[in-house]
This record gives sequence, C-alpha cells and structure tokens, in this order.
Amino acid sequence: MQQDPQQEARNILPDCIIPALALGFTIYYLTTITEVPWISQASAIVVSGLLSMAIVAFIIRSVWRIHRHRETLRLQGSLQAMLGYVPTSSRRIGLLALAVAYVWFIESLGFTLTTLIFVFAAIVLLSSLANWRNAAVISISSSVIGYIVFLYFFKTRFPTGPIEDWLKSVL
Amino acid sequence: MAPDFGVFVSLFVDTLDYWWIIIPATLLGIVVGAIPGFSAANTIIILLPLTLSMEPATGMIFMVALYTASRLGAGIPAILVNIPGTAGAAATPLDGYPMAVSGRGQQALAISFTASVAAGLITTVAALLLIPWLSQVAYHLHSVEMIVVMLFGISLIATISAADTIKGLIAGFFGLMIGYIGADVVYEAPRGTFGFLELYDKVPLIPALVGLFAISEAFVVIERNTILSEQGAIKQQHAGWGPTFEGIRDTFVHWKEVIWTSLLGLVIGVIPGAGAAIASFVAYQQSRILSKTPELYGTGHIPGLVAPESANNGVTSGTLIPLLIIGVPGGATAAIMAVVLEYHGVAFGPDLFDSQPMIAYGSFTAMLITYVLLGLMILPLTRYFSRVMVVPTVYMAPILIAFTLVGSFVPRAYVFDMGVAIVFGVIGYIARRTGYHVAAILIGVILGPLLENYFLRALRISEGDLTVLFSSALGNTLWVLLLLSLLAPGLKRYLGRLKSGNTNATE
Repeated sequence: MQQDPQQEARNILPDCIIPALALGFTIYYLTTITEVPWISQASAIVVSGLLSMAIVAFIIRSVWRIHRHRETLRLQGSLQAMLGYVPTSSRRIGLLALAVAYVWFIESLGFTLTTLIFVFAAIVLLSSLANWRNAAVISISSSVIGYIVFLYFFKTRFPTGPIEDWLKSVL
Repeated sequence: MAPDFGVFVSLFVDTLDYWWIIIPATLLGIVVGAIPGFSAANTIIILLPLTLSMEPATGMIFMVALYTASRLGAGIPAILVNIPGTAGAAATPLDGYPMAVSGRGQQALAISFTASVAAGLITTVAALLLIPWLSQVAYHLHSVEMIVVMLFGISLIATISAADTIKGLIAGFFGLMIGYIGADVVYEAPRGTFGFLELYDKVPLIPALVGLFAISEAFVVIERNTILSEQGAIKQQHAGWGPTFEGIRDTFVHWKEVIWTSLLGLVIGVIPGAGAAIASFVAYQQSRILSKTPELYGTGHIPGLVAPESANNGVTSGTLIPLLIIGVPGGATAAIMAVVLEYHGVAFGPDLFDSQPMIAYGSFTAMLITYVLLGLMILPLTRYFSRVMVVPTVYMAPILIAFTLVGSFVPRAYVFDMGVAIVFGVIGYIARRTGYHVAAILIGVILGPLLENYFLRALRISEGDLTVLFSSALGNTLWVLLLLSLLAPGLKRYLGRLKSGNTNATE
C-alpha cells in the first residue's frame, strides 16, 4: 500500500526507547548468568532469544516503513512527542523531580511532613502559584487524613520522622 | 466431608451471629483492597494481635470476611483510575478503565461488583459441595501442568497486543526478563540484580504495579483536566442511578461468562501458589478467545470486565480448600490464616470438618454472608465512587503519586521499593506514550517468576531432561488445549472468511 503523500511520515525514534531498554537490560542480564548452572539460565536464554527475535522484527518493519516513507527516524520533535509541549513538558519533568525528592526525603522527614510538602508543591506546579490556598488545604488535609487513618488507626508501616515521633509522644 | 443441607443451614444461621465482626472486617477489606500495597495479607499481619486474641472461629471468620472484601475492593481503583489495588485485579483495567474514561465508570463498577458477588456466591456454594473432589486437584497438578497453566496466562500478552503484535511481544518479553531478576529457587544464584540486595528476592510486585499503572498514569493524565474524556464528562454529569441498574443487568446478561470464569477461578485457587492474578489473566484470555467479538476486548467491552472479576473472586473460596484439607495454604493470606489457626492448636485435615465445623464450614458460610453484605453495601455506593473521576487532575495526580508510592513501601518497609516504583513509572510512561501495553509488561513481571519456578522444579526433578514437559497425560491434554486456544482466533477468522466467501458466491 502506498503512503498518502499528504500524510506526514511518523517519527518512530521514541518508539525505539523500549526495545533499546529491553535489549540493554537483556545483554546485562545475560552477563550476570554466565557462571550459574544451565538450569538457572534456561528460561532467561529462551525468553531473551524470543525478545531478540521480536526486536529484529521491529527493526525490519521499521526499515521497511522508512523506506516506504511511512515512518521516519529523527531527533527533532522526539522530545516533544515524549513529554508534550511547554508547559506540560516542564510540569512532567518537575513532577518527576518532586517524586524523586519525595522518596529521597521521606526516610528522614517521615510520611506526614513529606506528603504535605510534596502534595502542596505538586499542585502549585501543575496549576499555578495563585492556587496556593487550595494547594494548602488539600495538602494539609491529605497528610493529616493519611496520618490518622494509616499511622494512628491501622499502625501501618509508613516511614516516620519528627512529626510522627512528636505526635506519638503527645497522643 | 460434604455437609448435608440441614447442617449447612444451621451453620449459616450460626455464622450470622458473627455479624458484629463480619461488618467491620468487610468495610476494612474494601478499603485495604482498594489501596495498592495494602493487601488483605498485610492487614491481617498488622492486626495479628487482634486476631490471635479472638476465639479461633471468630478470628477465622474475621480474616475470611476481610480477605473476601479486599478482593472486591481491588477492582475499584483498577476501574476508576487504572490502578489495580492488588495483582489479582491487574486484568480488570483492560476493559474497566476504558469504560470509565468514556463516562461509564458507574456502570463498570456495578458490573464489577455484581460479577464479583455472583461469582463469590457461586464458587463458595460449589466449594462446599465439591470439597472432597477439589481437594484432590492440587495432587494432580504438578510443576509440568502448572507450566502450561502459566503459559495460558502469558498467552494473554499476544491477545492484548493485537493492535501491534510486535510491540506487544517486545513489552511482554521485556516484562518476563524483568521478572527473572533475582535469585533462582533452586540454586539461589543472583541474576540481573544490578548489585542490589533488595532485588535478590525478585522484583517486588506492588512497586512494579504502582509504577506501571499509577505513576505512569499520573504523568499521562496531567495534560487533561480530568481523567474523563470530553464526552465522558458530559455523561458523568447527567448520571443518576440508571448506570448502576444497567451494570447489574449487563452482568446477568453475561451469566454464562460469570459461571464458567468463576469456576475456573475456583479450580485455579485450589492450586497452591497459583493465585488470583493467573486466574484473572487466564479467564480474560479464554473469554476473548471464545467470544464472537474478540476485537472489542480492550475497548471497554463488558465480558472483558466480567471475566477477570468473576475469576479473581472465584479464587477466594478455592484458596481455603487446600488449607483446611491438607494444611497447605493456597496463597499469602491463607498462609497467615494457617499461622493464626496453628497458634490456637487447630489441626488441619478432613477431621477438622467434624471436630470444628464452625471453623471448617464456617469459613465458607462466612464468605457467603460477606458476599451478600458486600452486594448490599457496595452497589449503592457506585454512584458516589464514580465521582472520583471528576476530581481535577491537578489535585488527583499528586495525591495518587504520594499515596501509591508510600503504598509500595508497606509490604517490605524498604524505601528502595519506592525508588523501584518510580523506575517502573518512567518505564510505564515511556511505554504508554509510544504504544507499548503496560499490562503486557506487568503480565511478564507477575507470571515470569512463577513460570520459571515451575520450570526449574520440573527440570530439577527430571535431572535436566526437557522431555519431562510432555511426560504426563494431564499435562499433554493441557498442552493440546493451549495449542488449540492459540490457534482458535486464526481458525475462527479463517472459517468466518470461508463462510462469508461461500455466502457471497451463493448470492
């Protein structure tokens, strides 16, 4: 089937990320099983073989489609295709950074305080600073409800910090 | 072992006296089931001081009610926000979430609850009647047969990747490779762990589930005002009680689907270690294969929601059978129940049904009562649950991320697992943006280690002889059925084309 000349060729560079990750991980995995008994290698070797075949099929199909001008491989526009356009892209990157910071600090600051800061900062990031009142109400209520339900009533194993220690001594 | 009708009625009435423990356990079960990371097993562990202090029968009824309700609760976030509460609900969003996005969330919840309750009631009665026979199932299903059962589930990868088979297979095999991370069960040799001790015990399932579904979903939805599509938002605004009744009716229209998938779940539940995840994947896959409209699966098709929900609730009663008859727990929750009962000196085995009928039969009658209560309590709530979907994503996404991340901390209390959830979140986000199905990756992550465990055991027993895979009559029958189920869609298409060709020729 010939490509409609009006239709722009689809950029498939972002589509290559998952196969590249899969292939990279598989190669790493195979290097870690060279010393183990063959029985422990068997499943991984079979699946890595099947995965490699699927990736080869993906490459052949892509080359064929690029040749037919139905697809293209270019760096330009790939980032936008993955993250969206500004401001959505910067919000996504910011949200990821906040999530990483949440995990980083939760062990020392505890669930309640880290959740309060994270939810407040994330709402402000996703909406605007003008929305700070809603952000404050929602972040305080979600962390307080979280504390009461999970830590106070259910005694769930959440990371604890100064606030939880203080509340434990008071309540 | 099967009770006569009079004994059963008397036990049922006696169990009703435990309403004061069943109701709170049911409510708690719904909540913990709906929050990723808070499985029934974890909650029962947390509440061990409470259950150990109860009479054995009371404790058992409490645990059974909580476990039953948590199974049903897990479907709520799976449908509304594309986050399965437990691995057993991992197949629920495949059709539940598309229904919700299109404004049919209330209907989808009603279908999920009705199918779950109906399946739970059917399989509990079936379990009571068939205990002597069902208890034998585990004896006949060894590693070889279980390999084929796992492959039934894994073949779902090919099904859900129908839109782009190559991408689907890449995602599925990538998931299987990730599932092989960690020490193997036979030699305990660490493989692909990146040097992290925390990964020696395999990739933790809840962080993988949280990352692939919740975190990635949160990153995707922030470009929209709400999770709902434009049309879905309009539909949601005008929804009254109609969609709930519609959902109940839709489930009963598919009553055959409910019966056979729930019984499939019951049989899989009886097999120790198999669990709800494999049951729901196998049920979804087989439902699609047997359907006249397989192309509609994954687009918000009702049987695609009925099948996994019926199957994973069918597992619930099945899990108790090997525990009570032979003392082998069918899953993690049943294992904790075993610990509690052993603490009270309860001896498992067929004699338990005569010596302590309130524990043995009472577990099943408590399950029946819990399902009836669930139906009465939760169906009226569908209208209110579905309102979650109109919450703006600027508020929803941060709360989802915070609570699901901390939920992935709960099972093992490792901050490392929260990091794992973020890594899976990034992988899931990339997969979603580029047309790779996250469910295909998750199927691999869940079923990969199970498949490998059975495979290694089979090879260990046969001293490395691969022909062991075809050494049993039951195994070979299952292989043939697997082959038929894989060939069936193509065969059906071919026959359909042949038929339409003949019709055209006649015309």
